[in-house]
Amino acid sequence: MSIEQALSFDHEFTLQELLTGVNSSKLLQALLTNLDSPVRILDTHDKCLFDIELDQFEEKHPLKKTPLYGELEPIGYIEAYAPLPSLQSAAQLIQLILYSNSRYLMASDLHIKTQRDDYEELQRRNAALETSKVKYKKLAESLDLRVKQQVKVIETAQLKLYENEKLASIGRLAAGIAHEINNPIGFIRSNLTSTESYLNALTKLDAALKTGATNSYILKLWEEEELNYMLEDLEDILKESIDGIDRVAAIVKDLKSFSRVNDADEEDADINEIIRQTVHICAPQVQNKLEVILDLADIPLIFCHPAELGQVFLSLLLNAADAIAEKGKVKITTGINESNICIEMRDTGCGISESDLSHIFDPFFTTKDVGQGIGLGLTVCLNIIKAHKGSLNIISKLDKGTLVTICLPIQHKKY
Amino acid sequence: MAIHDEDSNKLTIKLVYYGPAMSGKTTNIMRLHDLLNTDLKGEIMMMETTNDRTLFFDLLPLGFTTSSGLLVKFKVYTVPGQVVHDSTRKAVLSRADGVVFVADSQLSQSINNGQSFENLEANANRVGLDFDSLPLVIQYNKRDLTDIISETEVQQRWQQAPWPVTFSNAINGSGVVETLQALLSQVYNQLNTEFKFLDQHNLTQTEFINQLITGDISHQT
Ligand SMILES: Nc1nc2c(ncn2[C@@H]2O[C@H](COP(=O)(O)OP(=O)(O)OP(=O)(O)O)[C@@H](O)[C@H]2O)c(=O)[nH]1
Ligand SMILES: Nc1ncnc2c1ncn2[C@@H]1O[C@H](COP(=O)(O)OP(=O)(O)OP(=O)(O)O)[C@@H](O)[C@H]1O
Ligand SMILES: [Mg+2]
Ligand SMILES: [Mg+2]
Repeated sequence: MSIEQALSFDHEFTLQELLTGVNSSKLLQALLTNLDSPVRILDTHDKCLFDIELDQFEEKHPLKKTPLYGELEPIGYIEAYAPLPSLQSAAQLIQLILYSNSRYLMASDLHIKTQRDDYEELQRRNAALETSKVKYKKLAESLDLRVKQQVKVIETAQLKLYENEKLASIGRLAAGIAHEINNPIGFIRSNLTSTESYLNALTKLDAALKTGATNSYILKLWEEEELNYMLEDLEDILKESIDGIDRVAAIVKDLKSFSRVNDADEEDADINEIIRQTVHICAPQVQNKLEVILDLADIPLIFCHPAELGQVFLSLLLNAADAIAEKGKVKITTGINESNICIEMRDTGCGISESDLSHIFDPFFTTKDVGQGIGLGLTVCLNIIKAHKGSLNIISKLDKGTLVTICLPIQHKKY
Repeated sequence: MAIHDEDSNKLTIKLVYYGPAMSGKTTNIMRLHDLLNTDLKGEIMMMETTNDRTLFFDLLPLGFTTSSGLLVKFKVYTVPGQVVHDSTRKAVLSRADGVVFVADSQLSQSINNGQSFENLEANANRVGLDFDSLPLVIQYNKRDLTDIISETEVQQRWQQAPWPVTFSNAINGSGVVETLQALLSQVYNQLNTEFKFLDQHNLTQTEFINQLITGDISHQT
């Protein structure tokens, strides 16, 4: 019999197997009492499995042997000095024991087998789970890596846009500034052209003087060339041109702070001055609809990045201008609150809805038309203010206006 | 795999009644016990729960002795049909020489039949039986009920399959013996090669079947 068969619950049981667990001495004692004879239980090969003897025994009957049946066929014998019917009924009794024992053995063997199979199945599943766990872990790791790479790509793209945004608002200024500079250049040029024609008249007079012309001729020439008017006009022209040149110089001076947008330089600077410059520089851009009111208190210099703060005020001013449809006001206030400088910018624009308010600092959030805004203005502002260890808050009411509050700690050069 | 015990000149053949819960497997072998007239017929050993659901298996031992003196012993098992007892089903199915798949004809049971048949195929493979060469009969039981699948539809469904299909009412026994007969003829063919029924034991297929079913002993001595 192979091991597998031996393990299987439905193998053919031997008499020996079916009697294991049975208290054989009690069984034999009972048989002995009943049959009044020594008893032997034999296997199919007549090998004695159990027996019991009597001390004093008289043979009243000849020795008889009868089969013990298993499922269908004899699996052993019982032998005693007893009448056959008694022996057969003893065999019946033993068969009942064998039957119930085989029932028990099959059930318990099957139980053990299924338990073992279930356990192996569990182990197999556990192993499979382990492998898939490792697989998923690897997958998760590689996904993680890819996500990180992707995030990096996005971050660089955003940084680029962010840098562009800094320049974009300045780009928006360029048109106004160009106009502002072109204007004086235009009239200075036309003034110089006029001066050129006045020079012709003077040359004629000079020639007449050199040839020793008469007074009356020179006077006539003076009249003809309208030199009286020329003298007055020249005075105006010169004054106007100098004014114009001063204006250009002023613009260039204001522009200087913005020309250093990407400068890392920090210095002690006057916030009020930065605000004035910013307002000034974007005035031509916004003055037809914005009335800018400045209420600037006496505040100390702070160690900061003036170009960047200028950028912040410019961005906020442009937002205010965009929020105003026809005509409106922007009031900028500065003041000191504990150890902070506080800047408030209040506009009478369209305001921000409650649902938008929670998103306005999100990169690329914009309610403006394509090409009008990319939605980085406030993101940049917040970053700059945070870099200055300050805070930027916005409260707003639809159709009423918006209040932007910036607080900057008063700090001075650290080294 | 039938086992030949040369020591006692005994061949043990294992037959298994498989199928979904409550399809009538246990009832089938109870009818076999009543209807078969073979020489050797043991008692049915039932291992069931209180409400008649098979818990481990049922076992009906049957047998006859050939003229050559070979004891051919059949152990007819039923498996528990309830889905939860799958390990037990697998253990009982292992080393089977033939299988009767007892399907429940009721229309409401067709999904259960399908799942149980798939389970039979899967388990046969798991315990190392070659499903393609395994002797198998499909029995549609409970033909006495209404709302059952029609015979034509059953025939159509199994048209492509190599196995014989029978119809039965296990309560009154009709079709039960015919099912066993259809299985025995396949089992004979399968085992004849290995155990030389005809050559060594002078046992024809008809005698093999008849000895178990009617107890007809037409030994040609
Ligand atoms: N009407 C009718 N009822 C049947 C038939 N065969 C079996 N039954 C009944 O169906 C129920 C279940 O029969 P069983 O033989 O115990 O079913 P089983 O396949 O052994 O069920 P499990 O042991 O749970 O797998 C019993 O109430 C049977 O009387 C049949 O042909 N017709
Ligand atoms: N003063 C304001 N009044 C009303 N709405 C405002 C104001 N400031 C900001 N918003 C709202 O917040 C949004 C985001 O502003 P943000 O400055 O970040 O981007 P943007 O102005 O749309 O584009 P840009 O990147 O060009 O600045 C604006 O689109 C607008 O809806
Ligand atoms: Mg903006
Ligand atoms: Mg059952």
